[in-house]
Amino acid sequence: MSQYYFDHAASAPRRDEVADAMAPWQRGVVGNPSGSHRAARDARRAVEEARDEVAAFVGAKPGGVIFTGGGTESCDLAIAGVTSHHRRTHDTSEILISRVEHHAVSDAAEKMARDHDDVSVGYIDVDADGVVDLDSLMSRLSDDTAIVSVMAANNETGVRQPLDGVSALSKSIIPGGVITHTDAIAAASWVNLATVTATTDMISICAHKIGGPVNSGALVLRGDVTLEAVIPGGGQERGRRGGTVDVAAAVGLAAAVRLTMNELADVNDRVLDLQEKLVAAVRLIPGCQVSGLGALRVSGTVHVTFDDLASDELLFLLDQEGVCASAAASCSSGAASPSHVLAAMGVSHERARGSLRLSMGAETTEGEVDAVIAILSGVVYRLRAEA
Amino acid sequence: MSGGVDSSVADVDDARRVAQMLGIDHHVFNYTEEFERHVVAPFIEAYAAGRSPNPCIECNRHIKFDLLFERAARLGFDAVATGHHARVMARDGVHFLIRGADDQKDQSYVLGYLAENQLATLLLPIGAMNKSDVRRHAERLGLRTWDKPDSQDVCFIEASKGREVFLRQRIDLTPAVIVDAVSGEEIGATLGAELMTVGQRRGVLPARDGERRFVSKVDLHAGRVEVGRLEDILINEIALDASSLSFSHAELVDGSAVLAQWSAHGVAQRATLRHGAQWRLELDVPARPVAAGQSVVFYRLSEPTIVEGAAIVAVS
Repeated sequence: MSQYYFDHAASAPRRDEVADAMAPWQRGVVGNPSGSHRAARDARRAVEEARDEVAAFVGAKPGGVIFTGGGTESCDLAIAGVTSHHRRTHDTSEILISRVEHHAVSDAAEKMARDHDDVSVGYIDVDADGVVDLDSLMSRLSDDTAIVSVMAANNETGVRQPLDGVSALSKSIIPGGVITHTDAIAAASWVNLATVTATTDMISICAHKIGGPVNSGALVLRGDVTLEAVIPGGGQERGRRGGTVDVAAAVGLAAAVRLTMNELADVNDRVLDLQEKLVAAVRLIPGCQVSGLGALRVSGTVHVTFDDLASDELLFLLDQEGVCASAAASCSSGAASPSHVLAAMGVSHERARGSLRLSMGAETTEGEVDAVIAILSGVVYRLRAEA
Repeated sequence: MSGGVDSSVADVDDARRVAQMLGIDHHVFNYTEEFERHVVAPFIEAYAAGRSPNPCIECNRHIKFDLLFERAARLGFDAVATGHHARVMARDGVHFLIRGADDQKDQSYVLGYLAENQLATLLLPIGAMNKSDVRRHAERLGLRTWDKPDSQDVCFIEASKGREVFLRQRIDLTPAVIVDAVSGEEIGATLGAELMTVGQRRGVLPARDGERRFVSKVDLHAGRVEVGRLEDILINEIALDASSLSFSHAELVDGSAVLAQWSAHGVAQRATLRHGAQWRLELDVPARPVAAGQSVVFYRLSEPTIVEGAAIVAVS
């Protein structure tokens, strides 16, 4: 049976170029980059070359790149690291995040508030398309705000956020300005981060969403941001992330970043056409609603909801037909669960229970899109016939 | 199927690994809301109304054998298999639910509401085995659950906290005095009359005469729990909620003699089913009171392993 991989937003296919770049650093002697001998220097050179490439990808200076164990850790370091530093000079600290953030951000923020009485979390509302309401941000900014975190694109719906507006408010409303962070993990395959995040202080990225290895990511600081390490360890990464730097992981991230940057324009053009085709087709299915249709979205993601179908059943039958897709929100058991993103957008509970995300990538073909359209239509028809 | 406390994620992990080792695709379906609506909420409501519900039976009825069966049919499955200790027997094209081979572990009681058409697509692969054989088999296959302790408690209540804490967080429990019906004396008090079940002895101190006492009546409105001597509280009949009656095959006629079982591991007793103004069960031998909300499962007198139907005990 053919397999149609439409779950790039969960994890993108590993690129051969990435595996090739990592291979020399995955067997035999690999020096500890903190050491002083030849093998250590070789490893350190590879890490620093990787750092240069990641910096260029985000449009920042190499000194701002902190290699981490993945996207979740990057977001956690941004939120916890900046808030911990803020607490040193403030009686109270508030973390402002949008209501549609990935749990990597919201759980990190909520844990800080749980652990410290002087820390609170404020939420920025979104509109029906899932775009942050800048008035809501403006009304919540205060002298206590430690950090504002708004994602570049939503991992469930693909909806992009007005980061320039977020930065402009964060820098101008409060004297001295508030530090901004963006979780750019879902956006990294689809937008030029150097321009889109140009006004944002901190950017989290993750390798496996762009064809690299899992457990590899970076938090990139633009300009002058001070944060406290979550993992102090041995002072690596200029004291901002302890633990031996994983050479293979850094090299893999750099290779994925290089491929993404080189192919960005072409892939975007091509996948945008596929997205338009997929959206037009699913809108013909009765009762199918495309999420965030009124907003700017990344090219790879099409998120839809049905008010009379269950994600569980859709995904099961799609899987039987070889389509790998996702409900985009799941609980710890792995089962589909109602999404906080859709709730924040005001989507009804019934509709949220029938959500489906189809996410494409660089290697997705038009033939695959045609096949998935046919399979999805058939599955929906069958479920309604059996109901 | 698992009830949503932290341990249930570990149960899902176990199920996934066992399925992997057996070469079975593992899918997780989320029934959190349905479970809350059909099992947890009625459980709480029943206690608040002074009844003692059996949530496992409700879960089997409304989640496993209702929603899951429907979904299985919709998704194109031929049958549903569960790990209950019970068996399905086909005789002349008719399917009967019968007791599991391991009489210590028999779970036909919690499946008593299944209808014949449901039995036709139900597989109970371990019903013919003893639990010790099941464990040996699992150990031989290298399944990591081979020595996992039997589940005993209500799955959505954390064992460390228990039923009282669970209920106290959700409803106001009623303080009550405990009155000895024999002497009329107050012999104690409880902070939660809802937690006292008619017929129970556990937690009731012996009276001044040194004899055991059993809960004979729980009156939430009056804040009063009565206890009595066993011989004074014995009952001769059990009132049944007519709307809850369910028959596996044909409806049992007025005067049908059955074997009736009203707790998961109780012994079935001879009884006669009566219609009259209200459905009730006349017991051949007097028994300790049965709490409203519990289920009674009817077994065939002539073939005592065959389930004939079930009903919920009404407030008498």
